[in-house]
Amino acid sequence: MKVLELNNVHKVYNTTHIEVHAVNDVSLNFEEGEFAAIVGPSGSGKTTLLNMIGGLDMPTEGRILVNDTDLSTLKSSAIIDFRMRNIGFVFQSYNLIPVLTAKENIEFIMNLQKWSRKKRDERTMELLKAVGLEDRINSRPAQLSGGQQQRVAVARALASKPRFVLADEPTANLDTKSTETLLDIMEKLNRDENITFIFSTHDARVVKKARRVITLEDGKVVSDKTRR
Amino acid sequence: MITKTAWKNIWRNKIRSLVVIASVTIGIFAGVFAVGVMNGAIDQRIDEVIDNEISHIQITHTDFRSNNDLACNIKDVSRLEEYISGIEEVQAVSDRLFVVGMANTARKSTGVNIIGIDPDKEKEIFGLYNELKPGTGDYFGDPDREELAYIGFDLAKNLNIIRYEINDNVIDELKSAGLPAEILTEISKFSGERFDNERSFKKAMRSVISAKNESGYGKLILEKSQTFRERAKFTLTFVDSNNQLTGGVFRVGGIYNIPNSMFESGQVFVQDRILRRLIEFPENTAHQIVIRLKDVDDTRSMTKKLRTDFPELEVLNWKEIQPDMAMMSDFAGVMYGFFMVIILAALAFGIVNTMLMVVLERIKELGMLTAIGMNKKKVFRMIMTESVFLSLAGGVSGMVVSWIIIKITSTRGINFGSMQEGFEAMGFSSHIYPDIGIDFFLIVTLLIIITGVLSSVYPAFKALKLDPAEALRTE
Repeated sequence: MKVLELNNVHKVYNTTHIEVHAVNDVSLNFEEGEFAAIVGPSGSGKTTLLNMIGGLDMPTEGRILVNDTDLSTLKSSAIIDFRMRNIGFVFQSYNLIPVLTAKENIEFIMNLQKWSRKKRDERTMELLKAVGLEDRINSRPAQLSGGQQQRVAVARALASKPRFVLADEPTANLDTKSTETLLDIMEKLNRDENITFIFSTHDARVVKKARRVITLEDGKVVSDKTRR
Repeated sequence: MITKTAWKNIWRNKIRSLVVIASVTIGIFAGVFAVGVMNGAIDQRIDEVIDNEISHIQITHTDFRSNNDLACNIKDVSRLEEYISGIEEVQAVSDRLFVVGMANTARKSTGVNIIGIDPDKEKEIFGLYNELKPGTGDYFGDPDREELAYIGFDLAKNLNIIRYEINDNVIDELKSAGLPAEILTEISKFSGERFDNERSFKKAMRSVISAKNESGYGKLILEKSQTFRERAKFTLTFVDSNNQLTGGVFRVGGIYNIPNSMFESGQVFVQDRILRRLIEFPENTAHQIVIRLKDVDDTRSMTKKLRTDFPELEVLNWKEIQPDMAMMSDFAGVMYGFFMVIILAALAFGIVNTMLMVVLERIKELGMLTAIGMNKKKVFRMIMTESVFLSLAGGVSGMVVSWIIIKITSTRGINFGSMQEGFEAMGFSSHIYPDIGIDFFLIVTLLIIITGVLSSVYPAFKALKLDPAEALRTE
């Protein structure tokens, strides 16, 4: 089942003197349950593409359809609501709320969606167990290692059972061991919950795990390979 | 969740939040305490005016107040008094004679209002009998002596009835009161000498003690050196009902001391029957009927009723007789409101500054929150809640501190002794008991919440304008 469709997407930034084509005529489809990596050198347009897929930025040209909803047709408040219900985000620098515990960080989106306390508690425990942090439930981000923080961020991204998760360089700040643990967890969650994962990365370890690898260069897709 | 997060957010930077809370606490305390002192002073002044000077309602002939003509009087007073006494809201009624005249001693004379009263009936209306200066006699304590008068302390000083003298007893009293030995030695030089008035005594003191010692001990020396000859004689002269100059020799029966120099220096109380005889005034006639109500809140309605009942007479309540008091009473609340608004406005700028820093420091986080689905309304609410929490935390602690300090000082009072003369010249006591009603605390709480909300608007709008993609790129 198709969860995401990009049709001739362009993103042009107008600087003082020149136009910069950050994303240039990209057309891609993502099926449910994919574990895909978007790779490419710095400045190739990975983050811009991810931002547009997540509705944080709008294409200059072309259409992005999530579950057949064209993001460009939604008002800004509707896009935020759409993101909350359909898209999970994992950021390079974790971006957890420092004053909240691991549990509270994971619960945050469920709270925004007004889930019942019982449902929230069940889902939070399930995710904390899945990311192996059930013993750090009341720890604040500052009391967790980088790897642990990113695992909490993954759990937060999955909390409201989104259609897909966008992870922008999720392993960039992690050591080898933490990266492996995180990738194993994400792979398992992808399998168990059938949630699509799309990474932007230039980490070879992530690329190795990905079942689909899309390569960008100068904003263009230069290869799109799927592994069995 | 937003409320909980907002509360936790204000403790991210404990020192900064505590500084803001402390500044709000100090600001609120300063405002509330100053209002408490002002309110206490005004309440005391109003109580003083009602209890000692004018009571709740006065009835006079319509022309009496404008020309003080003895002929402008109230007839058939006993019938009126009987009727008024029968009204449920009325606590007590008394009638007075009122004559303008001169008080004279061998050395001085001054203009006074001579008020003829029934001392026992007056006691039910006024508390002036309680204000007797110790050691100066009594309040019409000897019913057989008609010539006794009850005069104010300032009048006694003006008439040189109060004199000043340094003698062995005074030296002993000053010594036990802790006056330093060197000052005692200096002032002992005047031992045995008597000063007719305060000015000459002060002048003599200044010639032997320093200005610093005078400001520290001058008041004590002045008080202890006062001497008074019991039953001192003075004369009162005035015009009688036949427009003939007349008068009588009176003796000081007692001296009252209240925090209103003007009243003290101008009002002499004598027994009704002797004044009536001296001005040849008919029985059952008076110039003034004074009424004390059971509840001050009935003043307006009772004034209206009495005006309807006695349209031929002038019925005035305390607010109309002393419009300055009425103004103080009516506008005190407005003044306090303005005062607090100014303080809170100043504090608001501090809160705006802090909240702006909070937003600027958390650009990336606010971008992340918008990215994961926190809508702008919720972001706005979170920033606003943080700001209200900061204001409320400071406000509540400021009010608790104010309440405790006001509670302590309201029983002990605050003595502005060094400014006593100035205070009393304006009719205020220099010993103030701060007081504030619970309604004021509730209004201040509401104002603090409004301040918090208003202070958050600009920083919250800043947060709303953030572009999440750009905010997430911020380092």
